[in-house]
Amino acid sequence: MKRLGLRARVTAAFAVGALLLAASMALFSYDLTRHSLLEERERTAVRAAYFDAAVVRTGLDTEDPDVVEVLRSLDTGTGRRPLLHRDGQWHSRSAEIDGSPIPAELQRVVRSGEAAVQRIMVAGQPTLLVGVPVSDTTSYYELTSLREVARTLQVVALTLTAVAIMTAGSGAALGWYATRHSVRPLTAVADAAERIAAGDYTTRLDAATDPDLTRLSTSFNRMVDELVERIDRDRRFAADVSHELRSPLQTLAAAASVLTRRREHHDERTATAARLVAEEISRFQRLVDDLIELARTEQPAQRELVDVVTLARETCRARGLPDGLVRAGPGPATEWRVDRRRFEQILLNLLDNATRYGGGAVAVRLCLRPPDTGVLEVDDDGPGVPAADREVIFDRFVRGRAAHARANSDGTGLGLALVAQHAAAHGGRAGVTERPEGGARFRVELPGVLP
Amino acid sequence: MTAVLVIEDDDRIRLALLLALEEEGYRAYGVATAEEGLQRQRADPADNVLVDLMLPGMDGFEYIRQLRRDDDVPIVVVSARDDTHDIVAALEAGADDYVVKPVAIKELSARLRALRRRGRVGTTPVSNHIIGELEVSPDAGEVRRAGQVVPVTRTEFRLLCELAEHVGRVLSRRQLLQRVWGYDTGDERLVDVHVGRLRQKIEDDPANPRHLVTLRGLGYKLQR
Repeated sequence: MKRLGLRARVTAAFAVGALLLAASMALFSYDLTRHSLLEERERTAVRAAYFDAAVVRTGLDTEDPDVVEVLRSLDTGTGRRPLLHRDGQWHSRSAEIDGSPIPAELQRVVRSGEAAVQRIMVAGQPTLLVGVPVSDTTSYYELTSLREVARTLQVVALTLTAVAIMTAGSGAALGWYATRHSVRPLTAVADAAERIAAGDYTTRLDAATDPDLTRLSTSFNRMVDELVERIDRDRRFAADVSHELRSPLQTLAAAASVLTRRREHHDERTATAARLVAEEISRFQRLVDDLIELARTEQPAQRELVDVVTLARETCRARGLPDGLVRAGPGPATEWRVDRRRFEQILLNLLDNATRYGGGAVAVRLCLRPPDTGVLEVDDDGPGVPAADREVIFDRFVRGRAAHARANSDGTGLGLALVAQHAAAHGGRAGVTERPEGGARFRVELPGVLP
Repeated sequence: MTAVLVIEDDDRIRLALLLALEEEGYRAYGVATAEEGLQRQRADPADNVLVDLMLPGMDGFEYIRQLRRDDDVPIVVVSARDDTHDIVAALEAGADDYVVKPVAIKELSARLRALRRRGRVGTTPVSNHIIGELEVSPDAGEVRRAGQVVPVTRTEFRLLCELAEHVGRVLSRRQLLQRVWGYDTGDERLVDVHVGRLRQKIEDDPANPRHLVTLRGLGYKLQR
């Protein structure tokens, strides 16, 4: 099960807490209100019943009294209904009420000469029943409707429930609001981390915003500083090593050229050795150049307006390829905003890659994809790149799988890594797919090339 | 025999360069410091100077500046540093070309050849180019501005001639690189810095050039 987020949990806790608090308060209030309301009502009813019983007693004190008339003379209003039990007979103002709702237990108590009070239900209505003994054979009962009280209590209960629910809601809202503030620094950290991951190493947290969070921001910033320093150090190291290699390489290159020049003066074995030395020095040289370039590519692209079709044609010619290879896609815009040096190197490396592993480039395409992405494609007629290798060939020091390519490769294993890095410096990407007619199709996408 | 002066403080590199250059048919000799380099060039002028940037005492930049005061010998920087700042600073100081170590001797030799070629004046007489108050005389190897001779290096002169021959037409950096330096591929900053240096010499307001104008994304053009 997925665990709830911090914010959801805090909010839920706030809501439950608020609900518990509000519910217990509501229950307590309800109980208190109910008690006091009922007690008040009961007291009034009992007092009225005693009074009415006294009136009845006086009324019955005459010779052959008219019981119904006596009951009718009572001033009971609409709320109270009198009922008289006399000599085993029930009397009321009208025929519709008889003694049936009076519980036998209560009748017994009243007959024994004690007044009694009980809440009962009469025809589905809560009713207060007060019984007062009048004489040995006569009991006076009064039924007081509690409907008003019940309705009042209902309203109170409803109100309290609504208040409890609202309180719980407010609790949740408060929790959400409070966590928004306490989570905000975390959001800021997450945003900063994302920006750093995306390559913006200047991102730092503002340590001054909240004294409680100073420690977080300070340690975060220190971590980023150290990270950036380490990245810088690695890059500098690679660059320094490569630079330091350059001077001795110059001696080697010059000395090797002397050996090559004098090859006819050497015997065959010495000449072969000299040739190997010269060849390896030139490979070594390319490797150092590529390493330095790789260390440098972390810098952002220096964009300028470049006529890419012309540049591509010149680049093809520079590699001894016909410039008819270059085809411009639909759309008139052949001037792109790109880093000229990087663009040229992307194309050079793709052409070299095609020559080395794909039997030579057969097409170079330049086109625009809306809104403003420049797409460069280089096709070759070789064996293509297996789907499993299409990601890794852009890693450093990964060479083509074909056995002959690996054995005799004079590549540095950095060419495609440089292509990928140059594309990334433009905010774009490099990839390889299949050419429909067979072979590989390398595609470089450079966004934002239109002025 | 073409004489090449090599100023390089690393003994082994200097020795190897001298050996290789001699093998290519040059008369090559070397010194370890810029101060010696200045003396040597004064006493026995070479046809080409190769200079390292990082030298003990006077550095390569200062050497180029001092040498340029009275010498238009083609200067090629041979340095392990490929930082844009260093490259531009060296070119602005007056270097004609720069190569990053390690450079193949064949390539170095080709560059020296290209520099010498443009140093020589053509055999068939060519008419002078008049651009505003500017007069370029390919035969005399002279540039005059309002009648006054403007001191330009040989590379600057070749660049100006190339632009003047195609006055009113745009030449791409690549074309200029090919025609002036003889490179099929190369660093186009060479062109930019030399154009900048030329502007300092031939324009009234180098920041807002009237004759030698930039066409963004295309190249440079000389206009009347």
